[in-house]
Amino acid sequence: MISSQTLDALTSGEPAWLQQQRQTAWQTYEKLPLPTRRDLEWQRFDLRALKLDKITGASAVTETLTSPAAEQTGQGVIFCDMATAITKHGDLVKEYLGKSIAPDEPRKFNALHAALWKTGAFLYVPRDVRVTVPFEILYQFAGNATAGFPHTLVVVEPGAEATLVQKFVGGPTPGSNGTAGLHASGTEVFVKEAGHLHYISYQNFDENVFDFTLKRAHVARDAEIDWVIGMFGASFQRYDIECIMDGEGGNSFMYGVGFAEHKQQFGQFTKQHHRTGNTVSDLLFKNVLRDSAVSNYAGMIKVEKNANGTNAYQSNKNLVLSNKVKCDTKPILEIESNQLRCTHGATVGRLEEQQMFYLRSRGLHEKQARELLIEAFLEPVLARIQVEKVYKEFSSLIHNKVVR
Amino acid sequence: MSTQTQDILPGAYKEGFHDDIRPLHKVAKGASHEVIDYMCDVKGEPDWMRQFRHRSLDLFRKSELPEWLPGLRDIDFDAITYYASPIEKSARKWEDVPEDIRRTYDKLGIAKEEQKLLGGLGAQIDSEMAYHNIQESLSKQGVVFLSCDEGMKQYPDLFREYFAKAIPPEDNKFAALNSAFWSGGSFVYIPKGVKCDVPLSVYFRINAEQFGQFERTLIICDDDSFCHYVEGCSAPVYTTHSVHAAVVEIFVKERARCRYTTIQNWSTDVYNLVTKRAFVYGKGIMEWVDGNLGSKRTVKYPSCYLVGDGAHGEVLSLASADKGMWQDAGAKMVFMAPNCTARINSKSISGHGGRSSYRGLVQVRDNAPNGRVQVNCDALILDDKSRTDTYPTMEVDGDLATVEHEASVSNVSEEQLFYLQSRGIKKEDAVSMIVNGFIEPIVKELPMEFAVEINRLINLQMEGSVG
Repeated sequence: MISSQTLDALTSGEPAWLQQQRQTAWQTYEKLPLPTRRDLEWQRFDLRALKLDKITGASAVTETLTSPAAEQTGQGVIFCDMATAITKHGDLVKEYLGKSIAPDEPRKFNALHAALWKTGAFLYVPRDVRVTVPFEILYQFAGNATAGFPHTLVVVEPGAEATLVQKFVGGPTPGSNGTAGLHASGTEVFVKEAGHLHYISYQNFDENVFDFTLKRAHVARDAEIDWVIGMFGASFQRYDIECIMDGEGGNSFMYGVGFAEHKQQFGQFTKQHHRTGNTVSDLLFKNVLRDSAVSNYAGMIKVEKNANGTNAYQSNKNLVLSNKVKCDTKPILEIESNQLRCTHGATVGRLEEQQMFYLRSRGLHEKQARELLIEAFLEPVLARIQVEKVYKEFSSLIHNKVVR
Repeated sequence: MSTQTQDILPGAYKEGFHDDIRPLHKVAKGASHEVIDYMCDVKGEPDWMRQFRHRSLDLFRKSELPEWLPGLRDIDFDAITYYASPIEKSARKWEDVPEDIRRTYDKLGIAKEEQKLLGGLGAQIDSEMAYHNIQESLSKQGVVFLSCDEGMKQYPDLFREYFAKAIPPEDNKFAALNSAFWSGGSFVYIPKGVKCDVPLSVYFRINAEQFGQFERTLIICDDDSFCHYVEGCSAPVYTTHSVHAAVVEIFVKERARCRYTTIQNWSTDVYNLVTKRAFVYGKGIMEWVDGNLGSKRTVKYPSCYLVGDGAHGEVLSLASADKGMWQDAGAKMVFMAPNCTARINSKSISGHGGRSSYRGLVQVRDNAPNGRVQVNCDALILDDKSRTDTYPTMEVDGDLATVEHEASVSNVSEEQLFYLQSRGIKKEDAVSMIVNGFIEPIVKELPMEFAVEINRLINLQMEGSVG
């Protein structure tokens, strides 16, 4: 069971500022009640299979980092695990860690993550350094322990450019003690003036993992981030994906693809927060839902006062393949500026008869036609992946599910 | 007879006057069981209704405001008068309406409209209906158009069969409040096959200060019938708050069609918290045309429960939030039967620091295959003091429905302004043209007189918004 002893064991030997941060987060976690079905955001989800009292605190997630060769990265790039980062680059880490995902944010599982994160990775790209080869992090959930809290911290300095690929896989060994695993991760991203981050992240956990993930990016003046998020595994996942537009000329392009089947429950909560004007954000999240899957998408575009010149778009499209699916979508706008353009759209639908008919009339079997249309539905998101190898991984993952 | 606080909305709100009308019945402030007993005695109501009211008050006290509905905590329910009646009984002839009340309605120009275009007219002041009349040709066909209280007396069985069946007091806090203190409103029954071509119209007026108006309307459109019900409302401008918490229940039977048009123009000290719901049976059609132009805060989501095969629901919503207003309007469509269709079309304008929110729910239940629904929300925001929100929720069970939602927010674009100005149109007129063009799809669904009135009100709200 997770307790304050878990925390004490973790913090010994760490710098005081970090101990303090963890303490605050722990207090936040203890203070907050468990979400129930009476909370609007949680009403579609069944968390009963998550037995918190059986979760052990020890970390079950290990990180594997694959860095481009030194001659490809150039001077000053830091790409290492978090433990090393804190020992060797303490001051730099201190400047950013917990500055985006604050330890007192009132989200229960994200606070737990902020208190207990152990494994993780730190990517630092210095000013004007451009790296084309991707940095890769593989987070592997394995063994008999039942909890994992990896943290990723990314800083892209002014004028720099990098690609980060993040993968989350695995789960507690089945039958180890019959308990589902708890995974709570956090990714903090800072893209400075005119910096550019290509960010690809996906989870393909075993279906005995409850995953609570928060990803937040701060986009400075003339900076850009493009995201491709893949959501495939886990028995439950709640993804909070947020971009904060802090400087004029900033762009955020957010793409997401989800494929939920069996009894998987997917929650996707996105936020495009325009704190400054003359910023652009664009979002497209596409989900395929099959069997008894449950999906709840809620997306917020928030435009603050004086954020004139904002251009924001948000689209959530869901393809439903079974009559037992439950699919909610809730696109939200909150606008306090008047010189802007802001639109959103959401659809829930099935495969179109007409398209099926067209393909059948071209000689395809019903099964082939169906598979083709499902993959075509998701292709606009996959097409955004600029790393060939990862594109293929996404494609084959989806293909295997489609032809199951 | 005086007008006060004219400076709140200079010249814009011409209904802001109040008349000194001496109430015949007025109870102590606060929501209490004593008030209910007093009302039941005065009205001579049956026992079941007395019990229903008492039970509803208990529910009101127990129930919480929903967490998603902010900004209502400052309503002081104990400072409000729950029943006030300046009249003894509802008149059938305009001449029989007490003179001081008639004067109020003359100023609002209500009576003149009756001769011109209406099949029936009702006029409510504070808690009671001062006037209720219907054309003879309609009453001969069996159309019933009475105040809700009269409906309960004259058609007790029909009334009891439908009353609180669409919106039980358990539904929400304000429905419970209305159920406890309801008074006035209309009872409409359109018999099988009768098409009521001319609109039935009711005008609601709050005259008292710190008052709660809780009218209750029950409309039953029997198989193959048609009716168009139109309501308007206004109140004097005070510095204190009043509450208007109406409940409207509509039953649209098989192949029947009902259109319910609202032009809400309360003064900016009225909290307008209304529950409106229609049950639509096989191939029936329900249309809500909902115009919200006034009030301090409106919370209103007209809804259609599509319970019969092939039922159709439609909401056309127009909200204009000016200074000091928060229009929290929207729509709700619940699919409970196969082959149902629905459309929601919402347009909102926010200016002078006003806020408008679209809040909507589309729910497709398990047993409702082949549903189709389209939601469109457009918002126009006129300055950076104002705010606009969109909070749609879509919940879909199963794979047989098609649900689409689209929304956009924009300002009056420089390009459009430039085009019109280059044609020699003054800037103010150009803005007004653009705004009127924006709301046109909804305004054109209104009866002529209302359309003219809306355009007038919007133009008034637009004044001085160019800068």
